Amino acid sequence: MDDEFYELEAELKRLRPVSASPLLAARVEHALGVPRRNYWRWAALPAAAALAGAVLLRENQPLPVSGPSPAAAGNVVTYKPVSAQNLLYEQQDGGLVTLADGTTARRYLNSYVDTITWKNPRTQASLRWSVPRTEVRVVPVSFQ
Amino acid sequence: MEDIPDDESWKDWFERHGPKLLLCARQWTRSLADAEDVVQEAFVRFWRRQRQLGGSAQALLITSVRRAAIDLARRNARRGVREERTEGALESTGPVFETPLEGDDRRQAIESALRQLPAEQREVLVLKIWGELTFGQIAAQLGISPNTAASRYRYALAALRETLTAADCHG
Repeated sequence: MDDEFYELEAELKRLRPVSASPLLAARVEHALGVPRRNYWRWAALPAAAALAGAVLLRENQPLPVSGPSPAAAGNVVTYKPVSAQNLLYEQQDGGLVTLADGTTARRYLNSYVDTITWKNPRTQASLRWSVPRTEVRVVPVSFQ
Repeated sequence: MEDIPDDESWKDWFERHGPKLLLCARQWTRSLADAEDVVQEAFVRFWRRQRQLGGSAQALLITSVRRAAIDLARRNARRGVREERTEGALESTGPVFETPLEGDDRRQAIESALRQLPAEQREVLVLKIWGELTFGQIAAQLGISPNTAASRYRYALAALRETLTAADCHG
């Protein structure tokens, strides 16, 4: 502008506007229809688990015999859930938001992998199922 | 001002310019959440349909942000019908700038002074300093003459300096 405001202008230009939140970037990515690499990677897990489970189930099947037999009837595969885990592998700060009632809150984007394990108590064969999950958490912020 | 190279990804561009766009959007909306909605809508529209148009990408995108803010204000029907005019807000919650290395007090003082500016002066200041637009581009954005844009800019700087000086004197 001119020398009168030179220092003030320079000081203002040094200030960097706060960054757009990762959540906003994720929303833009979703709206643009860009596939997220992580999602594809995790989406492959259930498919792999299902394939492994199918192989296990097949291995537990009796050889085909002609006509029913007591042995075959006893080989019905029964899997029972034995454990469930939630693994938090990434947490992103989504920045501050203002709720409808005027409350200031902070958004968090948590990425989990939920893993459930089934086991056949008779054969000890196990089946593990892993599913990705994203959770958006809004926590009110109090200022002193 | 820069055009977008064909091989540049949206993410690179968004990371570099997103903060400026968000700041522009915040002064035309009433909350940070609204500003994010506006930036998302404008950026997606721009990236899909407008980025090959040529010219200043930044100016085009700020136009898109402002248009989205006007559309949002109409949809929300929070105020009476005021065609082609958004109401400056720069909501009072949440920081506007990153904390500088030399301390936070000065940043807070500048943010406070910015919020005290009349909306018509603040929007010119924000578009000039952080939007990096020329007075001609600002004039086109706001439907005013370049001379008026320059005058508002000077008034804004003068008011800012006065407020900041007073704040310094009172500790």
